[in-house]
Amino acid sequence: MTLLHAAWLQNSALPCLALWADNWQVATPIELDRLEAPPLHPLALSEPELSNWLQQQKLLPAGTQHLELQLSLPTRSNGLPLMAGELLPKQLEWWPWRVSALVLPAPLAATWLSKLPLTGGGNNCLSDELLWWSHLQRWVLSLIARGRWLPAVHTNRSGLASGRWEPLLNHESDRRRLEDLASRMPAAIHCANAPEIAELACMRPSAPRLQLAEIIAVLLDSQLRSDQATYFNEIETPKLDPLLAAWQSSLHCSAADLELVEGDCQRLASATAHWRETVAGRMAPARAVLELQVPAEGSELWQLHFGLQAEANPSLRQPAAAVWAAGAGKLQLGDINVADPAELLLEGLGRALVAFEPLGRGLETATPEQMQLAPAEAFVLVRTATARLRDVGVGVVLPASLSGGLASRLGLAIKAELPSGATGFSLGEDLEWSWELMIGGVMISLKELERLQAKRSPLVQHKGAWLELRPGDLRNAEKFCALNPPLSLDDALRLSANEGESLQRLPVHQFQAGPRLQAVLEQYHQQKAPDPLPAPEGFSGQLRPYQERGLGWLAFLHRFNQGACLADDMGLGKTIQLLAFLQHLKAEKELRRPVLLVAPTSVLTNWKREANKFTPKLNLIEHYGPKRAATDAALSKSLKGIDLCLTSYALLQRDSNLLSNVDWQGVVIDEAQAIKNAASKQSQAARLLAKPSRQGRFRIALTGTPVENRVSELWALMDYLNPRVLGEEDFFKQRYKLPIERYGDTASLKDLKSRVKPFILRRLKTDKSIITDLPEKLELNEWVSLSPEQRRLYTKTVDASLEAIQRAPLGKKNGQVLALLTRLKQICNHPALALKEETVGEGFASRSAKLQRLEELLEELLEAGDRALLFTQFAEWGHLLQSHLQQRWQQEVPFLHGGSSKNARQAMVDRFQLDPRGPQLFLLSLKAGGVGLNLTRASHVFHIDRWWNPAVENQATDRAYRIGQQKKVLVHKFITTGSIEEKIDQMIKEKAKLAADIVGSGEEWLGGLEFTQLRNLVALEEN
Amino acid sequence: MTSGNNITTQLGKDGLGEQPWWVLEWMELINSYRYKKRLERAWIYAREGNVISIRFEGRRVQAEVQGTESEPYKVQLWLDVLTDEDWEFVLEALSQKARWACQLLAGIMPQDIERAFAASGRRLFPFKLEEIGSECSCPDKANPCKHISAVYYLMGDRFTEDPFVLFQLRGRSRKQLLQALAEKRKIILQNKQEIPGASINQAIENYVDAEKWWQYNSPLDPDLVVITPALDSSGLAEAGDLPLAEEPLYPQAKQIFLEHLREHSNQKAQAAMLLAMATNATP
Repeated sequence: MTLLHAAWLQNSALPCLALWADNWQVATPIELDRLEAPPLHPLALSEPELSNWLQQQKLLPAGTQHLELQLSLPTRSNGLPLMAGELLPKQLEWWPWRVSALVLPAPLAATWLSKLPLTGGGNNCLSDELLWWSHLQRWVLSLIARGRWLPAVHTNRSGLASGRWEPLLNHESDRRRLEDLASRMPAAIHCANAPEIAELACMRPSAPRLQLAEIIAVLLDSQLRSDQATYFNEIETPKLDPLLAAWQSSLHCSAADLELVEGDCQRLASATAHWRETVAGRMAPARAVLELQVPAEGSELWQLHFGLQAEANPSLRQPAAAVWAAGAGKLQLGDINVADPAELLLEGLGRALVAFEPLGRGLETATPEQMQLAPAEAFVLVRTATARLRDVGVGVVLPASLSGGLASRLGLAIKAELPSGATGFSLGEDLEWSWELMIGGVMISLKELERLQAKRSPLVQHKGAWLELRPGDLRNAEKFCALNPPLSLDDALRLSANEGESLQRLPVHQFQAGPRLQAVLEQYHQQKAPDPLPAPEGFSGQLRPYQERGLGWLAFLHRFNQGACLADDMGLGKTIQLLAFLQHLKAEKELRRPVLLVAPTSVLTNWKREANKFTPKLNLIEHYGPKRAATDAALSKSLKGIDLCLTSYALLQRDSNLLSNVDWQGVVIDEAQAIKNAASKQSQAARLLAKPSRQGRFRIALTGTPVENRVSELWALMDYLNPRVLGEEDFFKQRYKLPIERYGDTASLKDLKSRVKPFILRRLKTDKSIITDLPEKLELNEWVSLSPEQRRLYTKTVDASLEAIQRAPLGKKNGQVLALLTRLKQICNHPALALKEETVGEGFASRSAKLQRLEELLEELLEAGDRALLFTQFAEWGHLLQSHLQQRWQQEVPFLHGGSSKNARQAMVDRFQLDPRGPQLFLLSLKAGGVGLNLTRASHVFHIDRWWNPAVENQATDRAYRIGQQKKVLVHKFITTGSIEEKIDQMIKEKAKLAADIVGSGEEWLGGLEFTQLRNLVALEEN
Repeated sequence: MTSGNNITTQLGKDGLGEQPWWVLEWMELINSYRYKKRLERAWIYAREGNVISIRFEGRRVQAEVQGTESEPYKVQLWLDVLTDEDWEFVLEALSQKARWACQLLAGIMPQDIERAFAASGRRLFPFKLEEIGSECSCPDKANPCKHISAVYYLMGDRFTEDPFVLFQLRGRSRKQLLQALAEKRKIILQNKQEIPGASINQAIENYVDAEKWWQYNSPLDPDLVVITPALDSSGLAEAGDLPLAEEPLYPQAKQIFLEHLREHSNQKAQAAMLLAMATNATP
């Protein structure tokens, strides 16, 4: 996949953003030792390719120019430039490469950057650098919105003065942001700024803070210039004196030179510099810091210590004594070097003096280190001056108990425990609890609070800590004492989940749970793996350890009447865990009414098979097909003595009235992403059925997709599981969806995740606790049925062919049997294959149940960023599937088949294995791709159709599962129930050895079958 | 406008109380001049824009004033320059009190700066009008003539643009002064004991982490999620009045200019917020 990069050209006359792109391909390494001039980047897009590609992606900016650039890039010692996302080789060098780029001058760049997404990830053709750029531009917009700028006079390198809008980054938040973005700046942004003279020279960027500040200045300036400001007209301008008029016009026109004589230029420059000086200091790696310390024992005077603090890491500090001792040399702050530390400290203190006058008293000596403050002065510093000091770029460190924020406010310390008699506790239940008032980290009684308040001093000392009392504190505390409210388990869950929660307006500083409550809380918040439950009686099969934990978790939430979403990774056995849970209820005699399970049509067969296998004691019916119950009476009759009723999403919606009249004990939805669209009928029907208006109806959802990361889909899911958790949809949109999806707001995301976390259990194959439980290679049967079209075609073909075969002369019989079997296998894949259609039409997927299931599985693994090999024995099917999958996911799906040339095969294999952004799906024909290839990047293997000989399938599987594979490999085998495929599967399983002997590797033996044998083999069995 | 009082109130729109102290001191100096009539004529001259230019060139103020002749008269003003020896005393005194260095470095003229100069027995500000040397190319024999006096009037404001011009007139530019102060500091600091742990290590420079060459995966700063305007804390509001001397012929110029900036600020802020709101959601 092509990836777009953006570099900054700061050396050009007009600073520009340069866009270039690379795309993995097989390239010939370049002999670096023999280079005389920078070589052409072998993986970069050429000029027309770049423009076309940007056009296609709707990213082509207007007004760009083409330019050939020279980029310093990390390079493998074998002579190929490294690509983003590639594993780092041991040997790395920096070499210059030539690429074609489109350059955007600053004003255009700003407009273009503003349109980029603010969140990364996804199937993105934008590199990380562009995410950095879009965040930077977002910040510039914020600076403009907050007016954080001053006009200035800027002298460029050739000595020409011009008006320029310059950012003011003196505020604490902006300084922190500068450090953040500078330290996280991908170095690739500066790869185009190599010195021009030395042709093979590479630039290694340094001092990112200064570089970043300059980029911000340029972007900001370009956006603040306007040609059409209303006031910028002929009538107004004459009222300005020549100096200001020249400055104003230089600030707005694009040709920005100041039209003034040199003396006036200088005068303007020094006046504007003076204007700026008292607000903002110069760019430096450190700033002055004032540290307030509480009075010594027996004294009432506070200490204020001076020092320097690193901008990049405010916890790195050195006292003034060290600054003076460093003399004219450099001062070391951690790994940061500060030049001229004394001047920096003095200058900062000069600005601090404006914000906090008492400081002057402490600066009467040549090398001051600290001073004393009277209590009133200390209070002024804490309450008001600190903010002002930080705004002029001076750091302030306050004692912990006064450092502001909620932690130093009056709040509660709570101890709680489950009542000793409680066993089957519920959420609303009251806990045994006690509380104390707490402020600044120390406990305080109401009496003590009254006594301190009576002192009428804003800063008071209590149990050794200095505290700031606020006027409302005593009143709030008295109110709370008078109320003495109860505390429910629900409250406890909330208080223990998030910091900064409050109870009756008092912040909760401490929450201490007793051992029994603690156990419940930990399990609820999934800080601890759920207690495992062994496979219940009547369950015929084994549960892996993590599956026992999953079962325990389902039972845990069931006990609290909370809906649960089991979102384990594909292949971990969600079906088995759910079946074990139902069997658990049955074994405990808790399963008294039927449970409704809703699944996509394509997996109903699979459910039936698995239920028969693992939980034979569960009575199961299908509410599906034309013969299903059509009236309340009929349905209730058919549900008599039934434990589990299966139905499809389509019927859930169509038979909504019918189904909602049944008193279900619980509802389970499989592939729960089906209800993600809250407005869809399907989703509404599922949620209606789950509404806990009826007592004790449990709700479970199963899905393999990372639901917790899909904000827009969470609401419908939680509304189904536990409607109270996320509230109404409108509220959810305003509070979470908009801030997170549009702006990537992490605070909202964190809050959202902590709210839904108790109800979602997701484990990955790669989890440490799981990986040891799994075999290296996990084989999964995917049972699928036939679509109506497939079914008709299948029966028709069998009927017609059997007749013909019966009549055929012996010599031709063999061939005809083979032809029949092949055709049936094709029908199981897709009618289009059997009918020799060559194009993929509309509704293509709906014609094949197998394809529908395949799509569902692929969707899940693509989402997880996994890669898969897809094997088929039919080249025609490969071609159809290739074009269908490419359309479906808008990404390239290579197809390696008998007709692929040797070079093409190698290229496909290399791309799949090596390209950092290579294709995720790889189609192979069983014969051409089954041997000799190394495709260990795949962690899934799909056998779309069955081959007679398991050895051939295994060989193909081994493409992915080989030495060098670090991931677990999941092997999916599709089996169409009742069809020839299931018969083959049975034969392979039952007589694996025998089959291998008889069958050999070909299909010849089939011709020798007796007619009845043949009929049994091919006839479609209704299950 | 016959009394000195009237004249001075014309200078600052906000009244004298708003002026930096050195301007006040300067105006006081001028108002101590005995010939009020001449002073008034000078004021009118200044107000009508007859002072074409004022430049600080080295230790002298060079000005051009349009008189009755077609060619403007050339006016020069100067103060007594301190000797190197005097400066040595001043610097010694300045370096003894950190606050002075602090303020000078932060661009603030210390109110008690004269105390440092007292060490040399000299002053920064001229104490009497007679201490100001002046010359005018006009035929008027009286000194100060009205041309010179007109320049006096405008000088005060020019000090606000850069308070350090006073040092320049006394023989040291700001740069020279700060450099000399740094030298002094070095001598003082050399006597300080080095504190263990504050040693100077060689920086690891130009270190590039190849791992981070392309990488950036941070979420957007939560504070940038919603872009809002500032309440009263724009850079313009913080920086306050532009320290640029008023041109008498354009009495409203600075106000208009600042008003333009504020208007511009609002317009651009609105536009930026709209643009930020329109940003595409994640694809």
